[in-house]
Amino acid sequence: MTRIMAIDRIALAVAVLVVTLAVVGPFLAPHDPYAVDLANALHGPSAAHWFGTDVNGRDVLSRILYGAQVTLPATVIVIAAATLLGTLIGTVAALGGKAVDEVLMRLTDIGLSLPSIILALGLAAALGPGLRSAVIALALTWWPGYARLVRTLVREVKDAEYVDAARMLGVSRARLVFRHILPNALNSLYVQTTLDVSAVMLVISGLSFVGVGAQVPSAEWGAMIAAAANNLTNGWWAVAFPGLAILLTAVAFNLVGDWLRVRNDPTIREGVR
Amino acid sequence: MTSTLLAVRDLRASYPGPSGPVEVVHGVDLDLARGEKLALVGESGSGKSVTARAILRLDPDATLSGRVELDGADLLALPTRRMRAIRGARVGLVFQDPLAALNPVMTIGWQITQPLVIRGVPKKIARRRGVDLLARLGVRDAERRFDDYPHQFSGGMRQRVVIAIAVIAEPDLLIADEPTTALDVRVQARVLELLHELTGERDMAVLLITHDLGIVAGFADRAVVMRHGRAVETGSVEDIYHRPRHEYTKALLAAVPRIGGDPTRPLITIKEGER
Repeated sequence: MTRIMAIDRIALAVAVLVVTLAVVGPFLAPHDPYAVDLANALHGPSAAHWFGTDVNGRDVLSRILYGAQVTLPATVIVIAAATLLGTLIGTVAALGGKAVDEVLMRLTDIGLSLPSIILALGLAAALGPGLRSAVIALALTWWPGYARLVRTLVREVKDAEYVDAARMLGVSRARLVFRHILPNALNSLYVQTTLDVSAVMLVISGLSFVGVGAQVPSAEWGAMIAAAANNLTNGWWAVAFPGLAILLTAVAFNLVGDWLRVRNDPTIREGVR
Repeated sequence: MTSTLLAVRDLRASYPGPSGPVEVVHGVDLDLARGEKLALVGESGSGKSVTARAILRLDPDATLSGRVELDGADLLALPTRRMRAIRGARVGLVFQDPLAALNPVMTIGWQITQPLVIRGVPKKIARRRGVDLLARLGVRDAERRFDDYPHQFSGGMRQRVVIAIAVIAEPDLLIADEPTTALDVRVQARVLELLHELTGERDMAVLLITHDLGIVAGFADRAVVMRHGRAVETGSVEDIYHRPRHEYTKALLAAVPRIGGDPTRPLITIKEGER
């Protein structure tokens, strides 16, 4: 138990650190992340450049610090939009009767059948390539998973006896949904969302990597890796450190998700807090 | 036994089945006076729970007919909104399984005060009344335990919480659907005693649904015996025990195991189709 607690604390600390760095990173960055210095291109980690420099001589550490401000908000927007939309559609489908359920679930199937990369490519063609297109495309393809999950969770909870009991007390429909059904149903959703933080981050980075996400001078982590991948053999640090940033953030958010779930379930909360 | 509180006339309930609706309650009549304790007795599947749920229109997919009059107002004809105002405020319900009937992620106190809070009683006053009631029901340290969660309570304690939720709004009628089935014998006795005291204090009528004839004898004034969705016999507990008229009631009484009985004789089983 104590070891789990320690890991949770470290994870929380790392997550807080990442978010803090995203906010104050630009003030801490030792160099201008966009300043090209070809004389210093592809230098390994040193006292002047802790994480080395990339092929254009830009300081990798500074770029990672600036990049947090691109990658994290984009991820949060995707997750928030997808969670909201998914919860709304899933809940309505579960509680709205057969016809509503059928229509919404077929809509969800359509959403599930769209690969995010293809949709992003299409949107990039329509709106112009950029982080905005990537975020919209991802949000549009990410919600159906949540809708499915929430629908199943709500269906499970809505027939529970305590929901019946609450109805018996004259509790209104809205209160029944928001105070009795959803708080009990959404526990598993928290975990799914935090697990997805890493997945979304990777897909955003992947979209940037194939060129429809963040564009070249941007310090978005995936875009950095994409740009540095050509010089992997003589400049591993320009790939490894942004990669490490993605990895560390992803793992931290996963563990925080687990911790959140435990915190939100009073039956397993004792002693783990 | 003065004025009639609840009058049920020719109550029928049917549920959708694979080949058309299936009627499970075939015209039940019940009368309950203010402050009276009526037991609804019968084996599993006799329709006693369905009857109780029908009185409150708890199952949305059930088709109901007949009349259920509470103080003269026909509950079956009320619009949903008015029905909601009656549930919990004028009629309380105690559920069978005290763990399943409590919301696991909300505190005990939140759930006990809910019937008051949703009717606009200020939280502070509701809390005061909730803590007092919980203490009255024999929960020690009620003030502190008010913010605990259901899983931190034992079975008997949880049933007290469920009772507290049912009676906090001081209803005229309390429907208890096998309130002691999930509890051990000692706790059963205590819970029944509490129900008895509480209903006496507040002049509440009780409709007790049970299959346990031992409970009926100690608790109720009158009893209705149900079988196959019909009320087969109605009378005072005294009459039902000592002068049962219906064959089924006699069989039911004979089927109760007795400590003094001859252990080599098999218990009597009730023959199917006996009416």
